[in-house]
Amino acid sequence: MHPSLWISKTGMHAQDKQLSVVANNLANVATVGFKRDRAEFEDLFYQIQRQPGAQSTQDNQIPSGLQIGTGVRVVSTQKVFSTTGFQTTEQPLDVAINGRGFFQILLPDGTIAYSRNGQFHLNSDGDVVNGNGLPLEPGITVPRDATNFTVGEDGTVTIQTPGNVQPQQLGQITLVDFVNPGGLQAVGSNLFLATGASGDPVEGTPGQDGLGFLKQYTLESSNVSVVEEMVNMITTQRAYEMNSKVIATADQMLQFVNQNV
Amino acid sequence: MDKALYIAMTGAVQNMQAQSIRANNLANVNTTGFKADFEQARSMPVFGEFYPSRAYALTENPATNYNPGWLQETGNDFDVAIKGDGWIAVIGPDGTERYTRVGNLSIGPNGQLYTGNNLQVLGDGAPIVIPEFDKIEIGLDGTISIRPRGQGPQELAQIDRIRLVNPPLEQLEKDENGLFKLKEEGAGAVLPDANVRLVAGFLEGSNVSAVEEMIHLLSLARQYEVHVKMMSRADENAEAMARILQIG
Repeated sequence: MHPSLWISKTGMHAQDKQLSVVANNLANVATVGFKRDRAEFEDLFYQIQRQPGAQSTQDNQIPSGLQIGTGVRVVSTQKVFSTTGFQTTEQPLDVAINGRGFFQILLPDGTIAYSRNGQFHLNSDGDVVNGNGLPLEPGITVPRDATNFTVGEDGTVTIQTPGNVQPQQLGQITLVDFVNPGGLQAVGSNLFLATGASGDPVEGTPGQDGLGFLKQYTLESSNVSVVEEMVNMITTQRAYEMNSKVIATADQMLQFVNQNV
Repeated sequence: MDKALYIAMTGAVQNMQAQSIRANNLANVNTTGFKADFEQARSMPVFGEFYPSRAYALTENPATNYNPGWLQETGNDFDVAIKGDGWIAVIGPDGTERYTRVGNLSIGPNGQLYTGNNLQVLGDGAPIVIPEFDKIEIGLDGTISIRPRGQGPQELAQIDRIRLVNPPLEQLEKDENGLFKLKEEGAGAVLPDANVRLVAGFLEGSNVSAVEEMIHLLSLARQYEVHVKMMSRADENAEAMARILQIG
């Protein structure tokens, strides 16, 4: 059959995937701490039909061969860990990381996931948990009678209790960093898991060892740029249309053969 | 029987291959750093016993379009595009030196620098390995400097330099993986060229011109129809011949 059919199919397939990535980014335009994905395209291997530089006769060389590419694929999606902005809130449990680093969230199975989403809550026991009720690690439990909850830039958590003039230190929020955050595995719910590609987590105090300071009453916005995604969407759609046009053309050629021979 | 049928057939077959090249270009219209391929037809006269009798068509891709692609701003520290001529030296899948303009770099778990298609980027001699850092800057000439982890801004350290080369284009060709290599195997490594310039925060898009490819595609489709028409004419002629012989 016509090879162009298959080549253009890979093109449409790749644009399809790109659109899914764009759609997911746009869907998360308001998700706190979301990091957008970027699809990376790669051309597929080339079929050498005639080897360039081969001998056509004993004395002569073929000046140029025939290499036919076989299409395109999405080789990977890369999380882009840029930061775009912070929004100020009035919730004492909203904490943003100003710089590199991730919060540690304890999963039900005892393993640790990592997150940039600092929108914390208290559960009925007074534990600091994320939106899904998973506790922050190392755990911080706020007593019932606490009147004031303060997170310092270095992650020190202090509260004020009635009858005590001195603030009381509750605990310490630590952050972790990875050599290659792009290699983290996104598992949804704003959580990431460490992989062989990300390297091992390096734990530290906020503000030290390259980790960012913490900012209370602040949330990190999603780094999705609406305009960029819309432009991506347009180019994706046009590329998709052009590849489908190639399929239609190849189909018409085959149809023409069937009708005329 | 007249051999025109066969000639028309080779024309149509070669035409299809030319179309595949154009289809591949269009499929890669959004691929970072992709370079479009040209396609051309050449006549291949066949010398018979007495005189050159037939000229068959032959499709080949004589060259790759080395025009730069458009630059897309990404703002990512690890995205570099080459301004003007030049190539980034990487290690190909088979372990030999290859050249590419795919500039979406990333860091591996052990600090190796990779391109978007997972090839290790070469530095001064060896593949680049980057120690842990707070901030990285890739300079105009490929120099990589970092602020080591936990150090102040006065501690900037120069790590390595991306091997940027600029061999004459006529010595280059695309390999099976879409990377570029020297036509002459074993010609030795290409020396770095200090004049190649990088711009960080940008990516080079594909240099495929969609309109141009579409026009070529349409013209090839029409040519194909002409070949098929020729085939059916040759068939009609053969039929007429058979009819005449029947009457006789």
